[in-house]
Amino acid sequence: MAAVEELSEPGELTAEEREAVQHQLFRLADDEFVVAERYTEWQVKAPTLESDLAFSNIAQDELGHARLWYDLLQDWGAEESELIWERDPSEWRHSTLVELPFDEGDWADPVLRSYLYDVAEDIQLRALQDSSYPRIRDRVGKILGEEDYHREHAANWLERLCEEDESRERVQAALDRLFPYALTLFAPTDEEVEDRIDDLGIRTEPLVTMREEWLDEVVPYLESLGLSIDDAELPEQYDVHHNQFDLPDAVGRDQSHTDDWYDLQEDFTHSYRELGRTSAERIMKDPDDE
Amino acid sequence: MIWEVFRQEKSGDYHKHCGNVHAPDREMALLFAEVQHGRRKPTNSLWVTPQKEIGEVDTEDTAFGGTTDKSYRWAMTYNFEAAASEVEESESEQATADRERKAQIEGGS
Repeated sequence: MAAVEELSEPGELTAEEREAVQHQLFRLADDEFVVAERYTEWQVKAPTLESDLAFSNIAQDELGHARLWYDLLQDWGAEESELIWERDPSEWRHSTLVELPFDEGDWADPVLRSYLYDVAEDIQLRALQDSSYPRIRDRVGKILGEEDYHREHAANWLERLCEEDESRERVQAALDRLFPYALTLFAPTDEEVEDRIDDLGIRTEPLVTMREEWLDEVVPYLESLGLSIDDAELPEQYDVHHNQFDLPDAVGRDQSHTDDWYDLQEDFTHSYRELGRTSAERIMKDPDDE
Repeated sequence: MIWEVFRQEKSGDYHKHCGNVHAPDREMALLFAEVQHGRRKPTNSLWVTPQKEIGEVDTEDTAFGGTTDKSYRWAMTYNFEAAASEVEESESEQATADRERKAQIEGGS
């Protein structure tokens, strides 16, 4: 990291630095929060009690990670309620992979989705281990500590689901549907701001490189399970060096979302509004004091 | 398939039975046990074993420890003269175990 200068404390950043850090944090926080929100829909609906607990536990982990990232966004004065419960849904920056709804009983989808997501998350977190922004750097290790289980869980399930034709076909159907959305995990929030994130060393790998790494891991693995990405609605120019992937209409990162996201947001903020809340109660210590 | 789960709280402790999980194989059983039995209580290690591989013998099958006088098995039976401190310590442990065993037999009958 020698060439890059360490960034200052939150309050001392320039407007441009602050914007870059915030974009990076919203990428992370919104992904974790929304993926957990969707995972939670499987509670009491997963195939067995054991898989239910394991998946709910993963959802809890991801919510915990979202909490760590939203907490850093509060360094500039925003309250948790403003970042989550009161934020306009059109301002969220999560990838559209995590907001898509599940078909009832289609267990192959969450299994595959969590695999695609968790491999990407691992790559993205590793690119933050040497971040020039100390507040991000300091929290990465704690999160990575919980990620091995997530990937192992997803891979173990995938391997078993792909052992038989019928269940493999369901995984394949999920793959055809989800793969283009998974590519949005590496889409820019804004080209110029993402370049700044790289230039400032907030992240040590550009999005394109991370996407390439992700494809190098995910594609051969899925193929080894007898799956094929040929039928996935892939961009025409399947070239990892190409910046402009032909992504789905809704990318998420740039604040374009599917209608399903607006329904989901309406849903999870329902109680907050119904109860006339104006703030969110905190029951846990500030992560800085943990 | 049911897997019995044994939890060890800290290194060096015995693994104690803590419940079970349903899983198709050992790898999944460990994955599930980790969350189901290791997420809230202090855990250093977990074992899983197929329930059908566990053998059992119980009080219906046998009288544990026999039915005749076997007091020769207990150190305090040999209490003829003052014992060395190590022996006394061991004796007191055995006396406690003996009391517990008797209490159990009385409680059970």
